[in-house]
Amino acid sequence: MLDLVRNIKGDKAIWAVVALLALFSFLPVYSASSNLVYVVGKGTTMGHLMKHAILLVLGFGIIYGIHRIPTRYFKGLSLIALPIVIVLLVFTLAQGTTIGGANASRWISVPLVGISFQTSNLASVVLMIYVARYLTKIKDQNITFKESIVPLWVPVFLVLILILPANFSTAAIIFSMVLLLCFLGGYPIKYLLGILGTGLVCLTLFILMAKAFPDLFPNRVDTWVSRIESFWNPEDTEADYQIEKAKIAIATGGIVGKGAGKSVQKNFLPQSSSDFIYAIIIEEYGLLGGFALMFFYLFLLFRIVVVANANPTIFGKLLVLGVGLPIVFQALINMAVAVELFPVTGQTLPLISSGGTSSWMTCLAIGIILSASVKETKKTKRGTSRIGGDNPLEVLSGQL
Amino acid sequence: MAVKDKHILTRLYVVTAGLFLFAIAVMVKLVSIQLVDGEKYRDLAQERTTKMFTIAPNRGNLYSDDGSLLATSVSRYTVRFDALTVDAEDFKENVVPLSDALAKLLGKSSSHYQQLLRKARENKNRYALIARNLDYSEYMAAKEFPLFRMGPYKGGLIVEQKTVREHPLGKIAERSVGYERVDENGYYTRVGLEGAFGEFLRGTEGKRLKQKIAKGQWKPIGQDNIVEPKDGYDVISTIDINIQDIAHHALLKQLEHYQADHGTVIVMETKTGEVKAISNLGRTAEGKYYERLNYAIGESHEPGSTFKLMNLVAALEDKVIDTSSVVDTEKGSWRIYNHRVRDSKHGGYGKISIAKAFEVSSNTAFAKMIHNGYKHAPEKYVNRLMSMNIHNELGLPIKGEGKPILRYPGDKGWSGLSLAQMAYGYEVAMTPLQVLTFYNAIANDGEMVKPRLIKEVREWDRTILGFEKEVIEASICSKETAAQVKGLMKNVVEKKHGTGHRLYSPNFSMAGKTGTAQKDYVSKDPDKLKYISTFAGYFPAENPKYSCIVVIHEPDKSVGYYGADVSGPVFKSVAQKIYANSPLIDEVEIPEQVDTKLDGNFQKYYAEAQKKYNKVPNVKGMSGMDAVSILENLGLQVEVRGNGKVKKQSISQGTDINKVEKIVLELS
Repeated sequence: MLDLVRNIKGDKAIWAVVALLALFSFLPVYSASSNLVYVVGKGTTMGHLMKHAILLVLGFGIIYGIHRIPTRYFKGLSLIALPIVIVLLVFTLAQGTTIGGANASRWISVPLVGISFQTSNLASVVLMIYVARYLTKIKDQNITFKESIVPLWVPVFLVLILILPANFSTAAIIFSMVLLLCFLGGYPIKYLLGILGTGLVCLTLFILMAKAFPDLFPNRVDTWVSRIESFWNPEDTEADYQIEKAKIAIATGGIVGKGAGKSVQKNFLPQSSSDFIYAIIIEEYGLLGGFALMFFYLFLLFRIVVVANANPTIFGKLLVLGVGLPIVFQALINMAVAVELFPVTGQTLPLISSGGTSSWMTCLAIGIILSASVKETKKTKRGTSRIGGDNPLEVLSGQL
Repeated sequence: MAVKDKHILTRLYVVTAGLFLFAIAVMVKLVSIQLVDGEKYRDLAQERTTKMFTIAPNRGNLYSDDGSLLATSVSRYTVRFDALTVDAEDFKENVVPLSDALAKLLGKSSSHYQQLLRKARENKNRYALIARNLDYSEYMAAKEFPLFRMGPYKGGLIVEQKTVREHPLGKIAERSVGYERVDENGYYTRVGLEGAFGEFLRGTEGKRLKQKIAKGQWKPIGQDNIVEPKDGYDVISTIDINIQDIAHHALLKQLEHYQADHGTVIVMETKTGEVKAISNLGRTAEGKYYERLNYAIGESHEPGSTFKLMNLVAALEDKVIDTSSVVDTEKGSWRIYNHRVRDSKHGGYGKISIAKAFEVSSNTAFAKMIHNGYKHAPEKYVNRLMSMNIHNELGLPIKGEGKPILRYPGDKGWSGLSLAQMAYGYEVAMTPLQVLTFYNAIANDGEMVKPRLIKEVREWDRTILGFEKEVIEASICSKETAAQVKGLMKNVVEKKHGTGHRLYSPNFSMAGKTGTAQKDYVSKDPDKLKYISTFAGYFPAENPKYSCIVVIHEPDKSVGYYGADVSGPVFKSVAQKIYANSPLIDEVEIPEQVDTKLDGNFQKYYAEAQKKYNKVPNVKGMSGMDAVSILENLGLQVEVRGNGKVKKQSISQGTDINKVEKIVLELS
């Protein structure tokens, strides 16, 4: 155990923020579970709490394990993982699970353990690493658009196309994060605009196809349209129900909130433990709680920037930003939905929501950031001669 | 493209700044929701998620004067069956035993219930009615039946409880016991005692704040009720159930006999004004009678000859006449202006004293007496009547008291004929209870007591409010006048020429006045002429204990319509029966009779009852009552058919008792 503690490396501030958020997450999850138990009638509140605890412990295991991997290895790992991820995505989509006629193939269940797993989360992390790797690779070249199509955009669009039918918002977030990373990595802006245009055209085509042949494949186009419409439409619609409850929750929270577990709206807000958890947190802990939570995410953002800044390699910088910014971005999106700045999406609040395995992917990303924050000083002491030498894994860090 | 660290950093700052702005936007929106729209959403939250629930208090009981229940609230249960929730195996296994059990409890055949249950299952009926209005013990039994004992989810048992008001006396005094209903706007419909004393009986509702939780359920907030419910008080009324029972049945019998439209009986305790019985029966379209409206209190009508008492008292008080003054009955028809006053006896009574005129109820004599006595000062007459409180309502707590009509000279409708008309009870109107109150005042030697229906308001055994005798007028007339008219009323029954002589019984005394008023006399068609027969009075004639009035409307004319014939017998039977129950009979000598036959019967019964039986005894020839008591003491279930003595017993003498469950006796 002491060894474990001694071996904790990397940015202590990130460790601290993540630990704090994880600890805090027990409160809203426990509060929301009372309603889950009552409505769904399955399990006990203690059961939900235990499940959350186990997921978090495993999540910290992931962080710990990943942060011990030297950063450079991720280049090669992403190359290996990407095909696997694409196969998993195809498999997920092929299940054709539907919810009320809409495509809801987001999860595959892991055999033996009985846990369902949202593949798009994993794909997102892997894809970001892959893009970071590519951008690092071309950092010294003057690249033409054509040259980047096959190594960069084909994999990106392949992943996005596979996610899009079941989960528009995740696809859109991944797409914008990829664009953001390319922008940071110095990819020419004119090309990015072209890609953005291509992306929009693709989306339009997809929607038109879905509208023209609604029976061709199950999709969620109607859900997207209605959600976006209800966001713009000032009149009351079905989707406004959730938003209204969320606003009631926020309004009744006041400055200091009603106190832990005393939320009323959790009884009426669907997804009170995931999508709308921020509203429940404000109801229970008030503006102060809401601002504090916001502060922690912004602090996380600050530390990510610091880590990226401090990392000596271009790959390290881009990797940290590629996997780190989506966490903060997703958190902001989740909060924006609760306050009706953004149409309803299915994005969870990272590290807080009881999203199950999606929190593991956040942990994976945190692990990578921590890995990149580990000072390489010790290593240089032990001698850099080993690079490309004894350790066969070093091949993963090579310029592939 | 040569990416430098610096490039990344500058671009990163732009991105970070963007995210930061986004975060600020979220926070600004948060604050605006709380501050700008906060009020609206907080109100919405209030409106949607919390609600004040009321907790109904238990309504108090209504008792008769001796503490018997007149009305009480009890729980009734409706049992329904959810045929879908039961799984196939349980249903198959239990449908027959359940039907058997239901048949035993509810009395219909087992196959009836089997069919009902199977049909419900077939039609996927989740709310099939099994039985309504079960009482608590029946409900407890049903809960333990096969299948039902598995509960609502596995056994499909649905139970609905409701609180209903039960009247242990049934139809008797139903209208006077009354009811109280409240509609959704909070308006009360108040009938009878229940309505009159609703304030006491009702109690106060409790309040509890509840919060909505999922699935349309509400959970209470906080530990205590915001307002604790307070159960209603018990009200002890003055109604005596024995007298009520007597009055009800006597009236019912007479109404049926005369095919009358409706009638009422009121019995009042003379000294205290406590109403001991109040019965109102009206005919339905099918010719059955039941308590429809509170005629006794609500129906104001022309009293007819019973009003002669008021006139006589007034005239005596004003010294317009003397009981010995002689009046000519003008051969039974006296013309005044263009109107004729007629006596019921054709040819009249000749020249008679006012006393006799009262006893024979001569209209002409009274019309002449009042008209001639007061024609120069009709105000004096009306003022006198008013001083006797004829014109006022009694101010009863029961809603809907009829208004008396007493015209003042110069009022609309007053004419030169008025005095003569009022002399025998027309152009005035009073309710039966108002008339009775007057008669009671005479019985009380002039002290007019307010009729009273409530004795006490109680909470458990603690008296909350006691009600004492209330005096309306300490003296409506002088003691002498009262004594004089009391004598005359006694003569009405006792003297051979009295209109009430047919009611005379040597065993007990009573006094009163008959009245036969015409109704709908405006019509010239004699077929449409209807009558109101009345008898008002008190008993015993000396030291009266009870006053009573009987009013019967629209008896079948072909059977009879005179007050003495129609209403009198009801009065008599009430008086007689109360007499028989009253401690006053101690004064009446009833010769001790030795009934050898009865004694013999008793000896026989006693001998039989003392024996111990293992076998069914022979009860043939024994009186039904004795036989039942012997057999039931042996633990047998006995069913009796008919009346009288045992003619047949379904299980013969000598059968082992343990093998017998039920024995049927036929009586002759």
